[in-house]
Amino acid sequence: MRLKLLSDAIAVAGNELRQFRRNRTAILISLIVLPLFFTMTIGASSGGATTHFSPTADIPIAFIDKDVSTDSGLLLQSLRSSGDFNNLILGYREDNAVATLGSGKIYAAIVVPNGFEGSLNNNQTGNIILYADDGEPGVADQISSTLSRDVQNFNPNVVVQAETSGLGQIEVLQKGAVFSGFNVGLVVVLGLVQIFAAFYEIAGGISKEREDGTLARILVTPSGIASILLGKTLFDSLLTTIRTFTVLGIAVFLFGARPNTDVGTLLVVSLIISLLTMGFGFLLSAIRVGARAVVIIEFFLVLFLFAFSGLIIDSELLRGISKDISYALPWNYGFQILRRTVLIGAPLTSLTGYLLPVLGATVLFYVSAYGIFAFSRERLAF
Amino acid sequence: MRVPRDSLAISFKEIRQLGRDPISLILTFMFPIVLIGIFIVIAGAFGAPSYNIPVAVADLDNSPASQVLVNRMTTSPIIRVVELLPTEDQALSLVQGGSVLGAVIIPQGFGQSLLTTGRAFVVIQTDNSKITTPTLILAAVNIEAQNLASTSGAQFGVKQATVSVIVRPISGRPPSGDQILPGFLGMITVLGAFDDIVNAITRERERGTFPRLLLSPVNIISIYTGKMVATVLLTVLRTTLVLIIFVLMGLTIHGNILLVYLTTALIAVFTLSLGLVMSARIRGSSTLTILEITLTFPLFSLSGVFQSPELLASGGRAIASVLPWTYGNEALRRVIYLGLGPSAIAGDLLILFVSSLVMMPISLMLSRRTM
Repeated sequence: MRLKLLSDAIAVAGNELRQFRRNRTAILISLIVLPLFFTMTIGASSGGATTHFSPTADIPIAFIDKDVSTDSGLLLQSLRSSGDFNNLILGYREDNAVATLGSGKIYAAIVVPNGFEGSLNNNQTGNIILYADDGEPGVADQISSTLSRDVQNFNPNVVVQAETSGLGQIEVLQKGAVFSGFNVGLVVVLGLVQIFAAFYEIAGGISKEREDGTLARILVTPSGIASILLGKTLFDSLLTTIRTFTVLGIAVFLFGARPNTDVGTLLVVSLIISLLTMGFGFLLSAIRVGARAVVIIEFFLVLFLFAFSGLIIDSELLRGISKDISYALPWNYGFQILRRTVLIGAPLTSLTGYLLPVLGATVLFYVSAYGIFAFSRERLAF
Repeated sequence: MRVPRDSLAISFKEIRQLGRDPISLILTFMFPIVLIGIFIVIAGAFGAPSYNIPVAVADLDNSPASQVLVNRMTTSPIIRVVELLPTEDQALSLVQGGSVLGAVIIPQGFGQSLLTTGRAFVVIQTDNSKITTPTLILAAVNIEAQNLASTSGAQFGVKQATVSVIVRPISGRPPSGDQILPGFLGMITVLGAFDDIVNAITRERERGTFPRLLLSPVNIISIYTGKMVATVLLTVLRTTLVLIIFVLMGLTIHGNILLVYLTTALIAVFTLSLGLVMSARIRGSSTLTILEITLTFPLFSLSGVFQSPELLASGGRAIASVLPWTYGNEALRRVIYLGLGPSAIAGDLLILFVSSLVMMPISLMLSRRTM
């Protein structure tokens, strides 16, 4: 009995694989476009995993020194050597710099007002003014926070500014590994690529088979529903494995990513997330969702994951119903597992709190899909 | 004379067809509402007055100054001190175990150092696998440390900051999530136009009506122009819907509203032109939609919807600079948020227009070849 289930499942997987091999578009989207495009986008946006990237480094910013003092000169030198402001432009007057803001030529203007040095000499706080183009999302906040951080450590009595040469205040030292934007992005890409592809391959594939009439034929063959589900799962697990290696290959060899865990763990986590998504795909297929609806659901699923799975904002910061949605989405726990393994290097065995909801939801999806398929098997039109 | 008349006839056909397909009709207008709904949730979370992020504190100093700092942190609206621990290791293990998202360690000698040198430090350990919470914890501890300096500075010997930065945004308005809203309008326009192309070409191919349309005495230029006019009309309707929602949310449209419509129409025309090129090669509506969604999500991070392309790494900036959508989103922000006029966005609109002009002949050529 078990052997028949397995041999039938392998036959179904073989059939899926043959169909897949004959569909060039499917190969292109599933194995090339998805992993390549997502990973390259993250790499292009946040730089490589090994390079230091300061978002403000290359932004053109006017520097207007109205004090023309030793201290203001030292401040300019300090900012230039910080690595955060490599594109400070001199020669603007305050009024024409402000007038130029909004045109895209400069995105901010740093003005050192008259009396800056005098204030510092009198042990008072020296003010500098930052005019920022807040029409560009994030630019004003980013420049202001980077500038505030850099000037916090400015000491006019020291010619070469040390990194932590604060004069006063209580300094806050951040301890622990800081992950590059690329490594954080890699977690998102690894999860999203599997969800995106697995859902479309399962739900989209079955809905297409239903529209072509081949699903009804498969269902009347002596293969059991369990064999069909298992066969499709085996086939998609193979694609998941290929995708995982593609994403990892690009990330490691092209962008220098160094995941904090071994390849085996990464593959297992990818498969866990993929299985969860496949289960969801089977469930939707069981309730006869059409090909167009699959695409629409896929779009909203990805949107929901972006909003509620900590991809834009950590789920701990969500409030009210959005927090409830976040906790109800099993993929949210999948992303937590990816984060804690890829970034922190936590072993899978220590993540049972996250693994249980994912595995529970996967079992629930598969059992429900099996039940619905079995219940409506006699109706060949389904 | 014949081309405009035929184009108009095709565009009316498109609108009539959409009117008779309730699912497509609902979808075309549901996208904006759902997207904005999700944005409200995200923006609400970003702008929340309090977060209560769980942190552990290890006060190894137990001096009057450290106790004041701990008291301040317990009243912070951003962090919530859930554990006061005697050792650093205990605090760090809580972070590593995921029970808290950050640990603040006040080292031994903190108070003494403040009194003698006017300087001291605290250490924080955060769960850096999270996207936003480490920054918030750092900011919260910084704020409380600064507050300690400003209110109890004399008592504990803390000096004021050497240099402070006064920020003056050119809009003259306080920081808000309003800068992102124009990008959302751009995003909705792109998604809507992609949906239109699926309706306009691939679904027509699947139904078998596209060859019939091509065999009718209508020029292919008229067919494509007609479909484009229909998309522009739908874009105008979607833009109106989105602007109404924006206004209800309290956003003020500072610039000329006609410029907003012109920009979204040009974004839609370019997207449709690109879609026509893609649909010449990809025949299935599901495949085309999935490919479009695949391309859309990464493009949003590159074309400045959520954050300015200026903040991207050099590779990202280079890609952003060749994407016409980047210029569309920028134009929308400059008009809606900054209230700038036509001269400020003329270059952006020209890029969108020229890009569409380049795409159209390519799509016509490919369509003729694959007819």
